Amino acid sequence: MKRGAWVLVAVLVAGVVAVAQSPVTITFWTHEDPNRTPLEEAYIRGFQAMYPHVTIERVTYPSAKIAEVLLTAFAARRGPDIFNLEINDAYPYLELGRVAPLKPEWVCYDSVESILGAYLEGTLDAVYRDGKLYGLPLELTIWSVFVNKKYFREVGLDPDRDYPRTWEQMMAVSEQLVIRDGEILKRRGFDFRYPYYLEWLLPMVEQMGGAFLSPDGQTAIVNDDAWLHVLRFMQQWGPSGKNLGSPTYTAARKLFNYDRNEVAMCLTGFYQIARIRADNEAFYESGEWMVIPFPVFEGAVRDVAAHYYGHYYMVNAESSPETQEWAWRFIAYMLSHPEEYLLQVGLIQPRKDLLASEAYASVPYGDVFAGDMARSSLVQLHVANPEFKQLLDDAVKAVMLSGVTPEEALATLKQRANEVLEEYR
Amino acid sequence: MRRKRGSKGILARRGRWGWAFVLPTLVLLGLFSVYPVVNAFYLSFFQKHLLSNAPPKFIGFGNYTYLFRSPTFWNSLTATAIFAGGAFAMLVGMSLLLAVLISSRQRFQRFLQLAFFSPAVVSTVVAAAIWLLIFDPRGIANQLVNALAGTPGVDHRWLVEPGRLQLATMLVYVWKYVGYFTIIFIAGIGTIPRSLYEAARVDGANAWQVFSRITFPLLRPTTLLVSVVAMIQCLRTFSTQYLFTQAGSPRSPIDVITLNVYYTAVRTFQIGRASALSIILFAIMLFLSWLQFRVARSEEVSYL
Repeated sequence: MKRGAWVLVAVLVAGVVAVAQSPVTITFWTHEDPNRTPLEEAYIRGFQAMYPHVTIERVTYPSAKIAEVLLTAFAARRGPDIFNLEINDAYPYLELGRVAPLKPEWVCYDSVESILGAYLEGTLDAVYRDGKLYGLPLELTIWSVFVNKKYFREVGLDPDRDYPRTWEQMMAVSEQLVIRDGEILKRRGFDFRYPYYLEWLLPMVEQMGGAFLSPDGQTAIVNDDAWLHVLRFMQQWGPSGKNLGSPTYTAARKLFNYDRNEVAMCLTGFYQIARIRADNEAFYESGEWMVIPFPVFEGAVRDVAAHYYGHYYMVNAESSPETQEWAWRFIAYMLSHPEEYLLQVGLIQPRKDLLASEAYASVPYGDVFAGDMARSSLVQLHVANPEFKQLLDDAVKAVMLSGVTPEEALATLKQRANEVLEEYR
Repeated sequence: MRRKRGSKGILARRGRWGWAFVLPTLVLLGLFSVYPVVNAFYLSFFQKHLLSNAPPKFIGFGNYTYLFRSPTFWNSLTATAIFAGGAFAMLVGMSLLLAVLISSRQRFQRFLQLAFFSPAVVSTVVAAAIWLLIFDPRGIANQLVNALAGTPGVDHRWLVEPGRLQLATMLVYVWKYVGYFTIIFIAGIGTIPRSLYEAARVDGANAWQVFSRITFPLLRPTTLLVSVVAMIQCLRTFSTQYLFTQAGSPRSPIDVITLNVYYTAVRTFQIGRASALSIILFAIMLFLSWLQFRVARSEEVSYL
């Protein structure tokens, strides 16, 4: 009997070991970032060496495509086990129950509260529901203005003194910096990041006292005067106005790094610094670039910087429980290297230990980003955000490119945005 | 009797072999063409959020009534009509013209066929990307027009001004497909008996008379094939308009139905409504193809 019991225990232990070691394959979809890829590939190798039964397949997609690819994959119930998206794109996944919560022990914490305590206050709010966490941040990003000082001096401006503090100054300085061949822009002073309106256009509206959604979330497009002020500004910015920029030109941030006299200022995040170094080390080392705060309108009623957003790693709720566990363990392993992400990729995890570290203190212009962060808030989260972004895109292009008056564009935007809200009620 | 049974057996055996050969195609066609249409038709009566696992909610003709009341839908219909009408006319006209010109040449026939056909093997995405560079404010289109018109520095706003934007999308499409339809027309011209041309020449017919009295009437079956395929192709256009909007162009002038289907499904997550849109597009294609067949049948010509 005793021997039988031992045999039974041995069989059970072997069974447990066999189950524990049964192969787990984790698919991991993320956006392209040439600086992040080698780092995460090294983490994959490291994790697989520690846990040989786990295989991780990392697949990258262009930033502009990953949201669509993920959506179709999830619609077909063939989503990856791990993914990351900008939080406003990821929010519908959370709202519709498509992502799985973590267990604190999987990510080396003893409770959800201790995880919340390890991060800057409020930075996990977007992924926190009913005592559970559905995501861990790969990065928190805020956009400030990058300046090429050389072009300022070229037109007789002192970049340290004459950099634009207000949007009106931005327009005036850009008029000085712009180089045109007739109507065709050869060099832009500054240009916006057109499709990402929730991050930069909404703060401009908020500076003038407007908002996209009312505080109760029941009405869209609050304060017509504020919206009209911003739409008129965009109209003036475009080819039919002062012809300073347009959505049809190559994105300014893509050209900035190459220092080829095509753009003097652009709106981008901290990660741009690592990309300048990767794309054009001579320019990076030259000291000819700097970062300035997000401007405000003259007569603004609120001092608001660009809205910050996060990329959170999330896990598919339809993955098997075992895959979910190992996916979260792997995420925790990757994110346990915040200084490497900061120094090699330029990504800031909003962890208190990182922000208090010497590594963070040593990064250039960290104070500018921190200052903008202090007057910023998380980007608007709503399940209909992709549609709202599209409506904003239609409105901005209508006034800038199609000759539609700001009043007409606002009326259309207001009507459609409220129709969308009505559908989600 | 025995012989009858035997021949019936052979026919039946041949029939079985026939089915065996046709079956794989039927299965694939059913799976990838018929099933999606049937499924889209079914889904068009439901309200379904693309990302939600919740079961779809039956709303009858709700999606259709919503669309018929929506200004965006009517704008899409107009944009589709403008694009399909313009691109179709250019495609059929130019490919016929090119086919006649190439067929009449003694030398470089193969080279010209290859040259005109080569864009057809380029993916639509690549074609649109090439043309986006051309239509960029600093691209060749502005430089060329300004050099020819003597208007240096003018931005003709190919990607912005509604009329030019529509024309730009048509040009991409025509450039890509004109060679494909030219080859079909050349094959059609090749089936017209040479004796008819020789007789016409003996009778002193000029080039226009040869074209209008012999080539064009006898090409009617080919023209029908080309027009049906070209019309369907033009109505299905998507990648060009999609890439142009991604490159910053305003959506409204080029918001063809397929692009609207994409936005409705992917941006607004309304897969039921997007299905209703695709069914409307399918009905339009079906109607136009039927109309073309009817018109062609009433004007059949034969000199043999």
